Amino acid sequence: MYKLIGILCILAGCAGWGSAKAGQEKERVRHLRTLFHIMGQMRSEISYGKHTLPEICLLLSELNDDCYHSCFVRIYERTREEKGGDFPEVWEAEVQACLKQLPLREDERETVAELPKTLSFQEEGGQSGRIGLAEAFLEGRYRQAEETCENRSKMIRSVSILTGLLLTILLL
Amino acid sequence: MRPEEVLCLFPDGIRYRWREVAEQAEKLQEIRLRAGMPLSVWIGNRERFVDTQGRIVDRPEKAARAASGELEDLLKHLCRYSVYAFADEIRQGFLTVQGGHRIGVAGQVILDGDGRIKNMKYIRYLNIRIAHQVRGAADPVIPCIFENGKVLNTLLISPPGGGKTTMLRDMIRQVSEGTAYGEGVNVSVVDERSEIAGSYLGVSQNDVGIRTDVLDGCPKVEGMMLLIRSMAPQVLAVDELGSIEDVQALQMASGCGCRLLATVHGSSLDEVRHKNYMRYVIEERLFERYVTLDRRMGICRVTGVFDGEGKPCIS
Repeated sequence: MYKLIGILCILAGCAGWGSAKAGQEKERVRHLRTLFHIMGQMRSEISYGKHTLPEICLLLSELNDDCYHSCFVRIYERTREEKGGDFPEVWEAEVQACLKQLPLREDERETVAELPKTLSFQEEGGQSGRIGLAEAFLEGRYRQAEETCENRSKMIRSVSILTGLLLTILLL
Repeated sequence: MRPEEVLCLFPDGIRYRWREVAEQAEKLQEIRLRAGMPLSVWIGNRERFVDTQGRIVDRPEKAARAASGELEDLLKHLCRYSVYAFADEIRQGFLTVQGGHRIGVAGQVILDGDGRIKNMKYIRYLNIRIAHQVRGAADPVIPCIFENGKVLNTLLISPPGGGKTTMLRDMIRQVSEGTAYGEGVNVSVVDERSEIAGSYLGVSQNDVGIRTDVLDGCPKVEGMMLLIRSMAPQVLAVDELGSIEDVQALQMASGCGCRLLATVHGSSLDEVRHKNYMRYVIEERLFERYVTLDRRMGICRVTGVFDGEGKPCIS
């Protein structure tokens, strides 16, 4: 009886771990999609709205939820005239803090966090062009992740159940 | 004006240097920064300088000098790290920031193929003109610009720095809110250089009255017609008439039944009468009142109010 309960616990634990991992994959796809949409929104606000970067952050905070909302509100607040914060520094610190907790790869986080450092702040075309590059990179990652997500999820679930079985056999 | 408003003009890293200047916010008129030159400020009509500790000193030798990098950082901060958003204004040599303060810029001009100014680079000269809203500035002329409760077409005339915009802003406020001489009416303002309302994020930073609509950053000619079509103003206000097109648009607006408040550069009515683009409308008596302003001993004052024929109403 105890053995049976143990086996079930191991199998359930491994399956749960697998599901969590698969969920992370789906989360990654969702966040990549959000990030590349954010880049698109930024580009369009620069090209058509001619808003300043802090104003764009305020608009982004209204258009996005989750951690992005609070992240963009904080950037806007810290870079308002009253505070006088340096935009690239504030952006990097806040975006790093926001993305740290998300299931993204290091280069994906860096692409977003270091974005203002690569912007010239001078010319509208150059500005939106640089953001366009980041957008294309993130879109590529998103498409890639979306394509592989289903298979990877299935594989992770299968591997986790197999691991559970293997552990059970070993422990028996 | 609060000292914090002056400090907000500077990035966090260099605010310590401007604290003493900011304390004089009420009297502060200009802050001038030139690359490699002493930091100078105009406080109460007197030029002073700022040393490395942020103290206000009298002698330029004791003053701190502005570094090129510092000016670039300041410009980035003033443009909110988005110089592209201010490109059109920089092309005209100035930009307006929160609070309606006007930043004059100079550097190396980049021309396009037609010889027109495309942009400016190496911006090494900044002149921060602190905006002060003077409530009641128009009090002396308000009785003269109303007749039977209606606003008369009025042209304010003064040399640069003579207080035209300040006077116009207060006239707009009073006409919009209503005075003892006439009820409040809908006023539309074409604020081409964001000087009248000092709009920031579309919200007027200066009090221009409760019945005032502001079209910010729009060229006067297009703006006047747009406002007449869209906002049905009873009074239309514009600053700094400077071309025949501006004057023709004003005539059209007048033909649509709008009353007009406008300003023009000039030291006297006679001088304005000799400007090519103004001669015709003065002869045609488009304006029913002319108000001349001047600055003496640092104080802006009304030097005369004339009727449509150029006869003094008060002087």
